[in-house]
Amino acid sequence: MRRHIDFYLATMRMSILEQIQYSVANYFYMIGMITEPVIYLVVWTTIAKQQGGMAGGYTVGAFAAYYIIWTLVRNMNIVLTPYAWEWRIREGRLSMELMRPINPIHNDVAFFAGWKFVVILLWLPLAAILSWIFKPAFEIRLMEVIVFFLAIWGAYLIRTMLLTLLGMISFWTTRVSAIFELYFGLELILSGRLVPMTIMPAWVQNLSNYLPFKWTFFFPIEALVGSMTDLQLWSGIGMQALWIVSGILILNLIWGPAIRRYSAVGG
Amino acid sequence: MPPAISVSNLSKHYKVPEREGGMKAAVTSLFNRKYRTVKAVDDISFDIEPGEIVGFLGPNGAGKTTTLKVLSGLLYSTSGRVNVLGFEPAKRPHDYLRQVALVMGNRNQLSWDLPAIDSFELQRSIYGIPAPEFKTTRDDFIDLLELKDLVNKPIRNLSLGERMKMEIVGALLHRPRVLFLDEPTIGLDVTMQRRIRAFIREYNQRWGATVLLTSHYMADVEALCRRIIVIHHGQTLFDGELNNLVTQFSSYKTLGVSLPNPEIDLSQYGEVLTRDGARVTLRVPKAKTSQVTANLLSDLQVDDLTVEDTPIDDVIDSVFTSTEEAK
Amino acid sequence: MNSIKLALTYLRIGVLNEMQYRVNFFIQLLQSFISVATGLIGLSLVFGQVDTLAGWSRPELLAVMGVHLLMGGVIRSVIQPNMERLMDDVRNGTLDFALTKPADAQTLVSVREFRFWQLVDVIVGGVVIGFAFFQLKESLGFLQLLGFLAALIMGGIMLYCVWLMVTTISFWVIRVQDISNLFEGLYAAGRWPVGIYPDWLRTGLTFLVPVAFAVTIPAEALTNRLTSASLLFAFGMTLVFIVLSRGLWRLGLSNYSGASS
Repeated sequence: MRRHIDFYLATMRMSILEQIQYSVANYFYMIGMITEPVIYLVVWTTIAKQQGGMAGGYTVGAFAAYYIIWTLVRNMNIVLTPYAWEWRIREGRLSMELMRPINPIHNDVAFFAGWKFVVILLWLPLAAILSWIFKPAFEIRLMEVIVFFLAIWGAYLIRTMLLTLLGMISFWTTRVSAIFELYFGLELILSGRLVPMTIMPAWVQNLSNYLPFKWTFFFPIEALVGSMTDLQLWSGIGMQALWIVSGILILNLIWGPAIRRYSAVGG
Repeated sequence: MPPAISVSNLSKHYKVPEREGGMKAAVTSLFNRKYRTVKAVDDISFDIEPGEIVGFLGPNGAGKTTTLKVLSGLLYSTSGRVNVLGFEPAKRPHDYLRQVALVMGNRNQLSWDLPAIDSFELQRSIYGIPAPEFKTTRDDFIDLLELKDLVNKPIRNLSLGERMKMEIVGALLHRPRVLFLDEPTIGLDVTMQRRIRAFIREYNQRWGATVLLTSHYMADVEALCRRIIVIHHGQTLFDGELNNLVTQFSSYKTLGVSLPNPEIDLSQYGEVLTRDGARVTLRVPKAKTSQVTANLLSDLQVDDLTVEDTPIDDVIDSVFTSTEEAK
Repeated sequence: MNSIKLALTYLRIGVLNEMQYRVNFFIQLLQSFISVATGLIGLSLVFGQVDTLAGWSRPELLAVMGVHLLMGGVIRSVIQPNMERLMDDVRNGTLDFALTKPADAQTLVSVREFRFWQLVDVIVGGVVIGFAFFQLKESLGFLQLLGFLAALIMGGIMLYCVWLMVTTISFWVIRVQDISNLFEGLYAAGRWPVGIYPDWLRTGLTFLVPVAFAVTIPAEALTNRLTSASLLFAFGMTLVFIVLSRGLWRLGLSNYSGASS
């Protein structure tokens, strides 16, 4: 156990050192990524203005707040793409990782986690600029901030589990892009990425409660910019924990068979 | 003492789909998939004692990399038993992984953007090396390979040879008892190759590690291995000392003759291999060597005459071609 | 003309190459389908709240979506692959191979790559446009169609020029790969008529990355909003972009030195 913590700290440190060198590249990426929520924001602001200031229960300021925080949450839930597993297996990189006495997934989680610290730091000035342009309306309580900070890491871990599981499909078939693209399409609609879930029809909102997507996007954002009660906030964290634990359990179940399959066919 | 590596009747077969070209074959293959069994490794057995450095030789596709992968635990065997340091590699238990190292030339493990010293620190945490022991080993290696000025430079700023040195250091920091080296000197210049070979030899002598090495460069094998295993078509053709390979398989010797007069035709004495001005090399059947030598010396004015064994490369070549013809 | 023959040759090779990977057709079709589906969901969410968005009706916005998809297909099949390969060549020093061939370098590096299956998006985009027209219960007049095609071609040329200019910068500043990401993000803005964006963004989308010309103007042509002034403006801007990009290219080329290994 202690060795794992040691490993995580060492890997996170390496990751931070590396990513600091790539600040410019990181900024380019983040700016490119910001166009998406800005588009959504402008569209919904237009709608709200046409209707006298509100749309779907959100004011113009509320939409701005939603989509600005969206940018941080989005940065937090960007994890190793499932396509990377396909690449790893094909290029034989997985073999080298398997020779180390630590499961390669730990390396992914630790490496990206370190990166996230750099990302959060780089995001702050961007958030300031976006706030200056779009003038969000914020009403924040301390409890919301605490829960938000936990929730963004929860989002990170949940999405890591989900995309790792997806990526591991590559152990059994190489024709995976169709599955991946379908997944991303569903996620767009059901996670709160496209619009706040409360604007979705009731049956969609219901459905999303039983799926993990909403906990990677909508929940963290709403925790900060919405007005959830303390009970709602902490039960949300509880749901995140539930999804993380389920993900870990399933991963543990599948890892053995996946590696056996890999070792039978050869990398 | 039990052998470090023990392989009994190891076989690795692959089922490869087989199909002819053409539309008809394409359609029938949808219903009736034909498979062909490729025997990458076919019933090989050997034992390697602790501290031995053994070379695996064989042409591409012979089965040497496959064997190496089975030994390191990356590949499951189809049949047979493999035991390394008392472990079954296929299960890849963490205790096993902490005592072995797999180094593949051309595969980078160290972080590209950071100095090697940072990557070494990461290796420490992966293998759980106690700090004082780690520091000693690391500093030792840095001295041995003269890397003191380079460890603090980002890897991307190093030359290919320097990078390879760093990779090897990184791979051995946890002082593995067994090394699997796959083409460790590929792509490096001659000086660098020598440095790396010297380091491996030093590592083996100091810590008694067992080394299994595959290489295309005979120089690697000649410099490091006393024992070699020749693999072809998944089977062992030869397992023994390098010198014996030459005497067993080579039936020719090479004569180097320097003449004052470059015009003379020596083809009557043997097969002319090269002609470089006044220096000619001849290939002569072993049995006839003394006869031909005597004839040359009595018939001609010879400035210099050398008798050499066939270069090992040629020996190996002829071993393979003869087995090809035999099949 | 030599350039056209060259382009057609590469086209043929690209097609033959990609025909081997028939599975890519289905994957591309699936991606287009998902794109259209999520687009339609987006539209229905919008029109659950309002009847028009910035003066555009639902079928009209559907037409914009179609044009966006169509132009996206053109970018991803021809423009982007070539520019990305050019960036790689500059970075790896392999541009020399292209420069020593007996053809105009700019033409060569612009037509070498062709992702055939991305054309599926062009077809799907066309279908969406057709469907939008069906909903509009209008017919496409000849002049309208001409205006649409002209706007489309000019918009495409302008996007190509901008891509080329940014890629040419990699002659001086090697690390430009992340630009692709930025472009894709900005192009996504063309999904909606640029009129809805705040002034500063609209200016950027017109003069910097001419998404407005690539998507909104052709869509305006389809929905009878296009004025001849706009079309003339588009024509003028096209000329400006062509001159600028060609100039920058020649400057970059003359400064070029193969990257050392």
